[in-house]
Amino acid sequence: MKNTFRGGVHPEEHKELSREARLRLFNPKGEMVFPLQQHIGKPAKPLVNKGDKVLVGQRIAEADGMISSHIYSSCSGTVKAIEKRRVLTGDRAECIVIDNDGEFTPAADYSQRDQAENLSVNEIIQRVQDAGVVGLGGAGFPTHVKLRPKTPEAIEYVIANGAECEPYLTCNDQLMRTQAPAIVEGLELVLRLFPNAEGLICIEDNKPEAIHAMELAAGGKTRISVHTMITKYPQGGERSLIQAATGIDFPISKLPADVGCVVQNVGTLYAIQRAVLYHEPLFSQCFTVTGEAVAEPGNFMVRVGTSYAELLAECGGIKPGVQARKALAGGPMMGIAMGSLEVPIQKQNNGLTLLAEDPVEEAEKMMTACLRCGRCTTVCPVGLMPQLMADAAIAGDLERYEKKLYGLECIQCGSCTVACPAKRPLMQTFKQAKAEINARKKREGGGQK
Amino acid sequence: MNDTVNLMNISSSPHTRDKWTTPYIMRMVVLSLLPATIVGIVVHGWQAFGIVALAVVSAVASEWVFNKICHKPDTIWDGSAVVTGLLLALSLGPKTPLYLPVIGSVFAIVVCKGCFGGLGKNFINPALAARCFLLISFANAMTIKPTLDAVASATPVGALKAYQVVDITKMFLGTADGVIGSSILALLAGGLLLWSLDIIHGQICFSVLIGFTLLIGLFGGQGFDPGFLLAHLCGGGVVMGAFFMATDYVTSPVSRLGQFIYGCLIGILGGIFRLWGNTADSFSYAIIIGNVCTPLIDTYIVQKPLAYRKIGKTRRVKREPFRIPKPVIALTLIAALAGVALSGVYSVTKDPIEKQELAAKAASYQEVCPGAATFEIPEGVEAKIKETENETTRVKEAYAAKDADGNLIGYVVSVTSKGFGGPVTLAVGLTPEGAIRDIAFTELTETAGLGMKAPEPAFSDQFDGKSGTLVLVKGEANGEQEISAISGASVTSTAVVNAVVKGLNFYDTVLKGGK
Repeated sequence: MKNTFRGGVHPEEHKELSREARLRLFNPKGEMVFPLQQHIGKPAKPLVNKGDKVLVGQRIAEADGMISSHIYSSCSGTVKAIEKRRVLTGDRAECIVIDNDGEFTPAADYSQRDQAENLSVNEIIQRVQDAGVVGLGGAGFPTHVKLRPKTPEAIEYVIANGAECEPYLTCNDQLMRTQAPAIVEGLELVLRLFPNAEGLICIEDNKPEAIHAMELAAGGKTRISVHTMITKYPQGGERSLIQAATGIDFPISKLPADVGCVVQNVGTLYAIQRAVLYHEPLFSQCFTVTGEAVAEPGNFMVRVGTSYAELLAECGGIKPGVQARKALAGGPMMGIAMGSLEVPIQKQNNGLTLLAEDPVEEAEKMMTACLRCGRCTTVCPVGLMPQLMADAAIAGDLERYEKKLYGLECIQCGSCTVACPAKRPLMQTFKQAKAEINARKKREGGGQK
Repeated sequence: MNDTVNLMNISSSPHTRDKWTTPYIMRMVVLSLLPATIVGIVVHGWQAFGIVALAVVSAVASEWVFNKICHKPDTIWDGSAVVTGLLLALSLGPKTPLYLPVIGSVFAIVVCKGCFGGLGKNFINPALAARCFLLISFANAMTIKPTLDAVASATPVGALKAYQVVDITKMFLGTADGVIGSSILALLAGGLLLWSLDIIHGQICFSVLIGFTLLIGLFGGQGFDPGFLLAHLCGGGVVMGAFFMATDYVTSPVSRLGQFIYGCLIGILGGIFRLWGNTADSFSYAIIIGNVCTPLIDTYIVQKPLAYRKIGKTRRVKREPFRIPKPVIALTLIAALAGVALSGVYSVTKDPIEKQELAAKAASYQEVCPGAATFEIPEGVEAKIKETENETTRVKEAYAAKDADGNLIGYVVSVTSKGFGGPVTLAVGLTPEGAIRDIAFTELTETAGLGMKAPEPAFSDQFDGKSGTLVLVKGEANGEQEISAISGASVTSTAVVNAVVKGLNFYDTVLKGGK
C-alpha cells in the first residue's frame, strides 16, 4: 500500500548520479562566510567582533526575537570582517567572515551523550532553540517555533519528511540509510512534546534502502510507523505530504498545526537529536553536489559557511568536456539559479546541481500559445485551475484571480509550469499576480488607517 | 572556472520541463487519425487521397502565408495546421470536388484561426467551422452521393432518418457510403489511443456519447434497442465528433464539471438535431454550439481548491486507488464493440433485413413480369426445387405469373449462383413460351466498378428475348446464343449466365406445358 496526494508531476529523477555516494564530512580550507539571515524571520545579531578568536560550535550571532535563530561557527579561526557579502540569491547581505585556521577545534565535546529521559517539554524545546535548528527542508523556518503550537495536545500527527521529491538530490536518502536510529530518536523526542500524536515517517518508493533502514530503526516503536509514498513531486512539500499521509486538505490561511500536523524534515530531526542529546549546535548538514556537469557527484556533511565553489572543487570541479549551463542551489524544482558559486552554503541549503543543459532555455524555444489542454489543472496538487488563473492574471482581472479562482491558494510548487506542453511560464505569472494583490491590499489597508 | 560561471543562466524555478510539447500533442492526434485516414483512402480510392493531401497542404500553406502577411512569427512547426487540415479532409465525402478542401482549409486557418489570434484563440473548431461553411455554401457538391448498392439506397444516416435498415458492420469497417473518415473501428482505435495517453479528456468524449445515446434512446421511438442505438452512434460523425472535434482543447472548457456539461450539451443537441432536424450532417452544428458556450462555462464553472470542496475535515489515509489501466479499458471497449457490431447486431436487425429483401424481391418479380397481378407456385415445383438444393447454381423459387383475369402471362424463376463476392441471385422473367422477358438482380455483392456493373443494361439487356442454351464470350457477342462478358468481371458474368441458363433449363424440364 502506497500513499499519495492528488495531482503532481514526475520529472526525471537523475538521482542515480549521486545516490550511492556515501555521506562524508568535508573540511574546507578557505575562509568561511556566515550570513546573518539563514532562516525565515529577523536576521541574527552578531556576538563577535573583528579579530575575535572563535571555535567550532561557538555562537557567533544570536537570535533577534522569537522568530529568528542563533548562528554558530563551523570552523575555528579569527573573525576577519563583518561586512556585506554576496549570497546565493545574488543580493549582498550582512555576513560574518571567519579566517579558517583549518584546525576545526571544537568549543565543546560533542560526542558525549547526555541523558534525556527526564527532560521536560520546555527543556527539549530550549535545547533545540539554543542549537539554532531551522527547517532543513529548504524553507529554514526556526524549528523551536514549530514545536510550540498553541495546543500541543491537538497535534495528531508528527510527520517525518523523508520524501526527498526534488530530482537529483540524494542527501536525505543517504542520511536515512546511515543515520536511521538517530532520526528515529529525533522523532521520538518530538513526539514527547505532543502526547496525542502519532509519528509517520514518509519516504518515496524510489528509496527502498532508506525505507528498509528506517523500518529497522522504527521497529518495535508503537507510536512510529514508516509509510511508502508513490514517487511524485511535490510530495515533500508540507501541504502535499500532509494530504498524502493523512488525507487532510487545508487552505493556505491555515498552518499545519491548525489541522493537527507537524512536519519535520529528516535532516531537521537528525539535527534535533544532535542538539538535545549531544548539545551540538547546528553548524553542519547533509548536502548533495550533483548534476551532469559535476565530475564526481557526492553527498556530504557540509559545514555551514563553506563556499559552493570550494565544495565543487572537492567534487573534481566541472566535468571535463562538459559546459555547465546552469547552477542551482537545491534541485531543479525549488532550487535557486545562482549567478556565482563564490557564495556560502547556508543552514537550509541541501544541494548544488550543475546542469549541462538548461531546460528552461530549451523550453523557451518551444513556447507556443496556451492550448487550454488542462494538464496544469490535472497536476495542480492544490486543485486550482492554473490555466484560467493565468488568463485572469494576464488580463489584469485580479478580482476574478483572487475570489473566483482562489489564486492566492497557489503553493508555488511549479508543477503546472513543468507539465505545460506549451511551455508557458505559469508559476512566474502567479508570483507576480500574488505580489500585486498583496501590494494592493497593503495600499488599501494603509488608506483606511 | 570563472569562464563557466559567467555562462550560467538565471531563471525562476522550476528549472525543468516535461517532455510534452505542443508539436508532440499534435503529432499524437495526427497519429491517431491515421488509421481512419488509411481506411478512408483504401476504401474510397485516389480521390480521397487527393482530398486529404490537398486539405493538409493548403492548411499548412495558408498558415505560413497568413503569418508572413501579418508579420507574425512562423507557427507551422507546432503542427496544429496539419491537424486542422486532416480533420477537415476526413469530414468530407470521398467524391467531393478537389477545390473544396482547399477552400475549406483556407477558411479554417485564415478566418477561424488566424483572424482570431492564432492557435489557442479561436472560438470554434476551425475544421468544423470550415466543414459547415462548405456545407452551406456548396450544398450540392458536398452531398454524399451513394454509389450503386443493391440494398441501401442512401448514406446510412439518410437511410436511418427514413427508417430504413442500415448495415452496421459496413459502417463499423468504413465501407459504407459516407465521409472519408467514417470507419468507426479506426476512429475508435485512434480516439481511445488519445484517451489512453491522457491527451483527450474522457469526460468530454464519453459524456457526448452518453448524452446522445440517452436522447436517441428516450425519444428515438425504438427504445434502447442496441442495434438501433449503435446504428445512430456509428453514423453521422458522432464518433469522430466525440473523440476528435468536441475534445479540441481550445474550444472546450477546462474544468472537469464544465467538460461534462459541455459534452452532455453536445450529445443532447446532436440527438435533437438527428431526430427532429432535416439534415444528416447536424452533429457538426451541435459541436459548434457547444464551442460557443465554452467561454460561458469557463467563466462560471470553476473548480474549487481541494481544501474548499469538502465540508468539515476528513481524517483518513489516502491510498492510490486501484485503477484499471486506460489502455486495457480501451482495448476491451474496441473488442466488445467490434464483436457486437459484427455479430450481435446482425441478429437484432435480421428481421427488418429479411422484410426489406422480400420487398425488393417482390418489386423485381413485378419488373421482370410486367402486368402480373398474382404469382402462384405451380404444382410439383417445390419438390423439384428441393432436389437441387445442394448445387452451386440452383433454383430458389419459381412462380407462374397471372394477370388480373387469371390468364397465364409468364413465369418467374429465382436462381442463385456463386459470384466473386458472394451469392448472385436474380429473377428471370419468361414468356409462357419460354423466352426471356427480362432479368433483375435481388442479391449482388460484387466488386464495385466491375461485377457491380451486371445490372447495367449493357450487360443485362443482352438476355432479353433469348432462350435455350447461352454461351459466355469475352469481347463482342456475335452469335444468337452468345452473351458478352463484363470486362474484368468474368466470375460475375459466368455466375449470371449460369444462373440464367439454370432458369431456362428449369423451364424446359419442369414448367414447360404446366398449368
